[in-house]
Amino acid sequence: MEITNYGITLRRLTRDKIELVRSWRNDPKIQRFMEYRDYITPEMQEKWFDRINNDNNYYFIIVFRGKEIGLTNIKDIDYENGTGEAGLFIYDDGYLNSDISFRSALCMGELFYYDLKLKTSLAHVCRDNKRAIQYNKFLGYQIADNQGNKYNQLYFQTKEAFEKSAAKIKHLIR
Amino acid sequence: MDINEFIDKFAEIFDDTDRNEFQANTKFKELDEWSSIMALNVIAMVDDEYDVLLKGDDIRGTETISQLFDIVKSRK
Repeated sequence: MEITNYGITLRRLTRDKIELVRSWRNDPKIQRFMEYRDYITPEMQEKWFDRINNDNNYYFIIVFRGKEIGLTNIKDIDYENGTGEAGLFIYDDGYLNSDISFRSALCMGELFYYDLKLKTSLAHVCRDNKRAIQYNKFLGYQIADNQGNKYNQLYFQTKEAFEKSAAKIKHLIR
Repeated sequence: MDINEFIDKFAEIFDDTDRNEFQANTKFKELDEWSSIMALNVIAMVDDEYDVLLKGDDIRGTETISQLFDIVKSRK
C-alpha cells in the first residue's frame, strides 16, 4: 500500500524495513521523545511487527524525493468506536521542523477520516515535548480531560478540527 | 524592500525569542523556538506581507534570515 499526495509518499511498513525503523527508534534523538525508552532488540522488533501488521494498525515509511526520512502511523484502531492513535517522527535532520510533517499529517488525516471512516484521532504526547504539543494543537488536537498529572498526555482530534486545520495547511504548502 | 523591516516581521512570529537574537546573519533554524509550525508561520507571513509564496525547499535551502530575504526580494 502506498499513498502519494502533497509532495510525499507514504509506503506501508513491510518486514524488510523493520530493521531500518529499529535503528531510527533506538537512536537517542528519537528515543527520548517516546514513552518506551529501553533498547529495542531485533527479536522485540519482529514481535512488534507481527502485532501491528494488520488492519488495526497502519505504519508507513515517509518518503520524500526517494529518500526514507521518517515513520508515521495510525495504531490501535477501534472500528466500533471510530478511534485510532496517530503518531509520527522525522528521523532525517534535514527534514526536521519543516513542512514535511504537515504533508504527512494531511495524507494520514485523509486516510483516517475518509478512507477508514474513523471519527476521532487520538495522540499521546509527552508533556515536556513542547514542539509536539504545538504541532498537535496546530492540527486541531485538544488535550483530553484529566491529563494534568500525567507525563504522557492524551489528545484528541475530530474530523471537523482536522478539516479546519487541513484547509490552512493546504493553503500554505500549495 | 527593506531587510530591517523583514527581520522585524520575522521576529514577530516568535513568542519566546528575544528580538536581539534576530539579525540578518541569524541562522534561524538554530533558534530554540524553531519548529515545523514556525516554518509554516514564516511562509504565511511572507504570503501575507509580501504576496510571495515560499516553498518548503526555500526554507530547507536557506540558513540565514538574509538568505530568505533575498529569495523574497527576487520574487517581488
